Amino acid sequence: MSVAGHQVEEPEDREASFSALLEDSMEDLYDNAPCGYLSTLLDGEIAKVNATLLTWLGYRREDLVGRRSFADLLSVGGKLYHETHYAPMLRMHGEARELALDLVTADGHRLPVLVTATVKKNQDGDPLLVRITVFDARERRAYERELLRARREAERERERLQRLTSTLQRTLLPAELPEVLGLEIAAHYHAASSDQVGGDFYDVFPLDADRWGFFLGDVCGKGPQAAVLTSLTRYTLRAAAVHDTDPVAVLSTLNSVLRQRHDPGAPRFCTVVFGLLQPDGDDFAVSLASGGHPPPLVIRADGEVDVLTTPGGQLVGALPDAHFVATSARLTPGDVLVLYTDGLTEARRADGLMLGEDEERLPALAAGFAGTGARAVVDSLAEVLTAWADEPSDDTAILALGPRPPEAR
Amino acid sequence: MSGLRITTAAEGTTHRVVLTGELDHETAPELERTLARLPQAAGHRLVIDLSGLALCDSSGLTTFIVARERALAAGTGFELTAPPPPVSRMLRVTGLDRVLLARHPQDA
Repeated sequence: MSVAGHQVEEPEDREASFSALLEDSMEDLYDNAPCGYLSTLLDGEIAKVNATLLTWLGYRREDLVGRRSFADLLSVGGKLYHETHYAPMLRMHGEARELALDLVTADGHRLPVLVTATVKKNQDGDPLLVRITVFDARERRAYERELLRARREAERERERLQRLTSTLQRTLLPAELPEVLGLEIAAHYHAASSDQVGGDFYDVFPLDADRWGFFLGDVCGKGPQAAVLTSLTRYTLRAAAVHDTDPVAVLSTLNSVLRQRHDPGAPRFCTVVFGLLQPDGDDFAVSLASGGHPPPLVIRADGEVDVLTTPGGQLVGALPDAHFVATSARLTPGDVLVLYTDGLTEARRADGLMLGEDEERLPALAAGFAGTGARAVVDSLAEVLTAWADEPSDDTAILALGPRPPEAR
Repeated sequence: MSGLRITTAAEGTTHRVVLTGELDHETAPELERTLARLPQAAGHRLVIDLSGLALCDSSGLTTFIVARERALAAGTGFELTAPPPPVSRMLRVTGLDRVLLARHPQDA
């Protein structure tokens, strides 16, 4: 019989050739098996041991049989484990499987092994002796040590990354918000990830003696590229506002800058609100422009909430001739202007519902915080966020500006 | 089970892509690859049907912006149709509705 030129042996021939190879002596198989064999009495005294294990340990048979117990072969830690786990397991279950132990060789070296033991019983079920197999686990133990080392190294790397990330994140947010006479300013930043720099940003800064610029936005993406984009956006906004304070002009400049190194396959864009703030008596006049950003709210002292929409304003950096739309508002003492990123409105409840799914929800919630001041509004919104989504999955920035009542200045 | 199902069909020179599910940072690259493989030429049209889209995040917007730029460069018409309310709102807030959504005669 021939298949593709190969001779295939008949079954009888194969049995004959196996037979010649097979162990003809069970004693030889026992002695020279590729694992250690050991039989002990119930008290642990070694009754029988194979040559493989003797070779591994460097003992002569007469050193062990009738003279030493299995526990004598173990390291100090192994003896303890034998006492607390191995022996009780054998007594209760009649077997102990794949225990990782260290044997100590005649010359004092440790030999990591995997031990499996079963209790041999007589016909009446009374225990007679313990049979033990011992597998050399040096390579496995080395592998486990390597795994452990790699894991510790990864944990250290992760800690380093988190430190780096939080440091970088701090450089992208103002260290402290400026003091503006008569104005309370408060901000909140929630970073969704501790090992990735978030893409939300905000700032408040002086333009001249009595004018202030502010912005809040969200760049696309996360991580190092988002950090670079955030940095570029922040500095561009501040520089552009010095050149021309008109909020629409500021956003147009940012759009040009983001388009300058335009890569069609990896657009760099952000949504941002840029505004100017100017004291006027006890009030503050605000003019702002939005580039595709969720509309700011003005929470009036009396509980009314104005949504400062800028219909048609487009995100910044995505389109060559992006269109930006301005609006203005007057803040009287007790009013609070609130800017926020979509981490707040797109926060998802456990059932998947977004906080801003109903566009009336945020203004309605905000109305409840009327008259409490900028700090309290920010803190309340931060509480709303964590109450809505246990672990908000997106970064969230909130910035609030509110004229203080004259008597509180 | 979240995820995005993408089906494409060609009718003459119009390629219609129907999206069902969630378009986010995990699924956007697959859509990006699918759109990049579609043949584009002057006079062709690429229509993306969003009616089955349960979620679209900024990665999704990025994908649409990239696809639109590539289409325009090739002379291919590009439009999104039938966005469900949350996606429609996102397009409106970001001002992309004017450039990405199909223009109806009454808007012209």
